[in-house]
Amino acid sequence: MSSNLLSIAASGAAAAEIALDITGQNIANATTQGYVRRSANDVEVASASSWSTANDISLSGVTVSGVVRNADPFLQTEARNTASNTAGAGATVSGLTDVETAVEDSGVFTAIGTFQTSLTTLEQNPTDTSSRATVLQDGQTMASAFQIAAQGLASTQSGLQGEVGSGVSQINTLASQLATINSQLSASSGGASANPAITTSDRASLMDQRDSLLDQISQFGNVATTIQTDGSVNVNLGGVSGPPLVTGGTTNTLTATTNADGTETLMVGNATVSLGGGSLAGNQSALTTLGQISGKLDSLAASIATTVNTQQAQGSDLDGNSGAPLFSGTTAATLTMATTDPSAIATAAAGSAAGSSDSTNLTALTSAIGTLGPASTMNDILTQVSGAVQSATTTQTTLQTLSSAAAASLSAEAGVDLNTEAVNLVQFQQAFEASGKVMQTASDIFTAIYNLTGT
Amino acid sequence: MTTISSTSTSAFYTTASAQLASLQQEVDSVDNSISTGNQFTTASQDPEAAAQMRMLQLQDTEASADTASSNAASASLQLADSTMTSMINDINQARELTTQAATGTLTDAERASIGTQIAQIQSNMISLANTRDANGNALFGGGVSGDAYTTDASGNVTYVGAATSPTLPIGGGQTVQTGVTGPEVLDMTDASGNQTNVINTLGALASALQTGGSSAQSAASSALTSLSNGLDAVTTAQTVIGSREAWLSLNAQNQSAASTARATEESQVGDTDVSTAAIKLQELTTALQASQACFVRLSSLSLFNDLGS
Repeated sequence: MSSNLLSIAASGAAAAEIALDITGQNIANATTQGYVRRSANDVEVASASSWSTANDISLSGVTVSGVVRNADPFLQTEARNTASNTAGAGATVSGLTDVETAVEDSGVFTAIGTFQTSLTTLEQNPTDTSSRATVLQDGQTMASAFQIAAQGLASTQSGLQGEVGSGVSQINTLASQLATINSQLSASSGGASANPAITTSDRASLMDQRDSLLDQISQFGNVATTIQTDGSVNVNLGGVSGPPLVTGGTTNTLTATTNADGTETLMVGNATVSLGGGSLAGNQSALTTLGQISGKLDSLAASIATTVNTQQAQGSDLDGNSGAPLFSGTTAATLTMATTDPSAIATAAAGSAAGSSDSTNLTALTSAIGTLGPASTMNDILTQVSGAVQSATTTQTTLQTLSSAAAASLSAEAGVDLNTEAVNLVQFQQAFEASGKVMQTASDIFTAIYNLTGT
Repeated sequence: MTTISSTSTSAFYTTASAQLASLQQEVDSVDNSISTGNQFTTASQDPEAAAQMRMLQLQDTEASADTASSNAASASLQLADSTMTSMINDINQARELTTQAATGTLTDAERASIGTQIAQIQSNMISLANTRDANGNALFGGGVSGDAYTTDASGNVTYVGAATSPTLPIGGGQTVQTGVTGPEVLDMTDASGNQTNVINTLGALASALQTGGSSAQSAASSALTSLSNGLDAVTTAQTVIGSREAWLSLNAQNQSAASTARATEESQVGDTDVSTAAIKLQELTTALQASQACFVRLSSLSLFNDLGS
């Protein structure tokens, strides 16, 4: 078989044209989210020598065997996992910051201090009605501050629960879209080459969508992925040992259940999902901390009420009656003053007459509150919250750095660099022109030989 | 063509915007700390320092209540002090009169006149003993409302106040008794060794002198010893009050030193070090400007600008 210079040149021009098309496509999609840079996979076409003619030269030019999608699955997984962890840390920070704001802005700490101070001031003149009214007023302010903190925590909690709910429905939507892509990838796998990186242009586009969906799912929850030979992907939620979310063209539904303590449990079918990354994991962790803080506030409010009421019962009020409870309620949300009567504060020892200026029981009360140390407990609670925010922020910063580095190396490999494409554009244009020159040469040769035979 | 060493165009823009945003955020944070004067805007920026600041501010609030208590105690003690000075003056006057009455040359009428004066001094002493404090309670009655002493038909007084004076916390875990009770001031032993008080002694003397007769002179003689004992009792109580006032003033000095120390610590922990912050701001703005200039230069570098020209 002999070679044909004209057809070689034609194949070269065709290959260069396809390469120019692909370069144009890359430039057009330089900023498209999830687009992976393509290149043409050129293969030399050469016929085998026949048995009778050793060292035969039979060249047939070049052909484009497919599109190379420059995606490294390892880098993609790395970028996806670190982005998932960063999303988780971000959700934790935002949830905990809300908790911090709710507890700190309520002013519970200051209100406790003011209440204690007003009791100390009352000792200067235990029978003074205006000092007594101040104590009641400051007690009410403290109770209100506890209520505000509890309300702030409750609304933060319902906000976080709402985020979990919408995240779960997002995951389910994305999973069903991924199943559709999986089915299309399986159906078009007939033309798949042995090398998974070389494929057709429409399959490359499906794979872009597949990877983009995986990235979106992992923003909500960390996933483990297994790419099948046909290009479809199986997804396990929460890591390799987690329950399967997408298997080929089928999906399992993720559900969220709110527990009695306000935390959320995620289930796929009957299997519990334990997430290590993604915003859902961050929400869950913030909800757990919120529950702890809320419990501590409740027990602090209850202990203040119990201490004051117990000491009240051991004394005698300004009317000579045995002291009645000053506070009612056993949680931060329900703490309130049980009385508005300034004379109800039992400052005198039990059995004292009406109007007694004895301050025995008041001294015992301030000392009992001093022993309880509510301000110091509240300080510990605030420090715990702000410490949790600080440590979550530090974690987020670290993960953000890792995630940026992974995204940069993935982008360097899979993203479009306009300067490179500019070079390619020049290169392929020159290749096209060179092929044209070869055609010209083939034509010249043909003409020369034709003229020979003609004379 | 599968090896790429350069970064992608979109990554260049993403990274540049992230870096500029991060620098801008730092500039904002330093600017905020300078303009508010506080090193931190939220506790989570430095939880330890925030916890320290909260406790320091709580101590400030407590200290202001303690200072008010200390001032109230001081006022009450000063009132007691000056009242006791009046009592001492009265007793001294009574002693002078009694010395006159004890001389044998006086007539019954003259002794009766002295007795009337002493009766006047006694009623003066009763009103001094029933002095009210700033809150309107009995100054020598342990803080009870109303009088510390009641007077019966025969002119004898009985203490009806509280057994002890009220105590007030004055900061630093210290407490002080804000006064002395009537018995602590006026109770004494008379010449015959009986337990009585200054007012009743004066009362008995006054009636003995007004009655006249031979017993009047001897009553006056023994009353001299009794009044001397009474003077000792009041003087002793006044010394106690004086030492308490000194203790209060010492404690106030300590509290004020502690308050200054707290203010210094609060400033160190929570306030912005303006000079450091200003230098930091300069550094950050320089870096931000350089980054912006860098971005503009780099982003204008495109091969496409040079193609086809």
